[in-house]
Amino acid sequence: MKNFDLIKLPFSKNNPILVQVLGICSCLAVTAQLKPAVVMSLSVIVVVVLSNVIISLLRNTIPPRIRIIVQLVVVSTLVVLVDQVLKAYVYDVSKQLSVFVGLIITNCIVMGRLEAFAMVQKPWASFLDGLGNGLGYSVILIVLGFVREFFGSGTLWGYPVMEKLGLYEVGYENNGLMIMPPMALILVGLIIWWHRSKNKDLCE
Amino acid sequence: MAKSFSNRYIFIYSAALVVVAALILTVVAVSLKPMQTRNQQAETKQMILKTIGVDATRDNADQLYAEHITDADGYYTFASGIVIPLKGTGLWGPIWGYLALDSTSTVVGAVFDHKGETPGLGGEIATDKFAQRFIGKKMDTQAIHLAKNADHSNPYEVDAISGGTMTSNGVTAMLAKAYDDYSKLSSSSSISSTTSDTSNTREEVQQ
Repeated sequence: MKNFDLIKLPFSKNNPILVQVLGICSCLAVTAQLKPAVVMSLSVIVVVVLSNVIISLLRNTIPPRIRIIVQLVVVSTLVVLVDQVLKAYVYDVSKQLSVFVGLIITNCIVMGRLEAFAMVQKPWASFLDGLGNGLGYSVILIVLGFVREFFGSGTLWGYPVMEKLGLYEVGYENNGLMIMPPMALILVGLIIWWHRSKNKDLCE
Repeated sequence: MAKSFSNRYIFIYSAALVVVAALILTVVAVSLKPMQTRNQQAETKQMILKTIGVDATRDNADQLYAEHITDADGYYTFASGIVIPLKGTGLWGPIWGYLALDSTSTVVGAVFDHKGETPGLGGEIATDKFAQRFIGKKMDTQAIHLAKNADHSNPYEVDAISGGTMTSNGVTAMLAKAYDDYSKLSSSSSISSTTSDTSNTREEVQQ
């Protein structure tokens, strides 16, 4: 596989959310607004890239029988590290993300990539794979965050777009369902539908 | 993949890995602790200042706090009243806040925060939009509570957060508890209060 494919494929043809259907939990939880979705995306990219590289470097020394535990230790260490650094240097961002930084540990994408890729590939390829998958995840999160905040709260990044446009005065109302997690699931379903219709080879 | 590892290797490997991870985390946690503590203390001061309408940044919070606020036993006094602390539990973890009350127990400022409520849902209690709903409400004869489709003319009722019912219930419980403490405080001090009946402060909101 060419290096460029490592970044390109997870973006569309092998998107972690749309095709592998991983990371759905956090994708429902943090996308009620755009800002947490973006910060969460960045944190996941950092963790998935670094853990991919570390596991790839260690891959020949890891006994297969305890590989899941080893992966978990590496991922947890990185996540706690990221959390501590955020708390010390960018306190406000860390507050914004609250519990979800910790929940990156349980994000299936991270361990999925470690198990499927980093355990058998060289560090540089693992780096690119982590980056690609992190970005593929981010794209969906940001799209969802945009749509849900815009239609659910009438704001974007906290800026009251709908109010400034004066739509409330002509009878427009925010769609309360948009900020509920089930709507995120429905939106993901719609995106997957559209994505499959564009990529017939993904249909079973 | 026939490479096999002995039990001894596995034990040593996992022990070494855990020790290395623990060392890294300990070093980082200890070296970042002073900065984190400073952030948290400054944030508390910022929150208290915000309830009395003083906007402080993290850098000048110490100085402004010294100018405006006096620490009393478990609460804080400012020029025209007192600030009472709120502590409670939301859906995922602790929630807290501060209410600034004037001499007639009317809310002049409020601020809320949380450890880990869902961003966009329960986490909305930390926004100014939510805190401003409390201004003008009263804590004199009963506690303020949150309600769905709240009656805005009722001085004890504030709109709850849609999608954040558990957190909203936590805020209601926290206010009821703070009211109990506050009514004891105000009946034993010079702050005027007509409080006598605390039995109806925990009215549950019909959802």
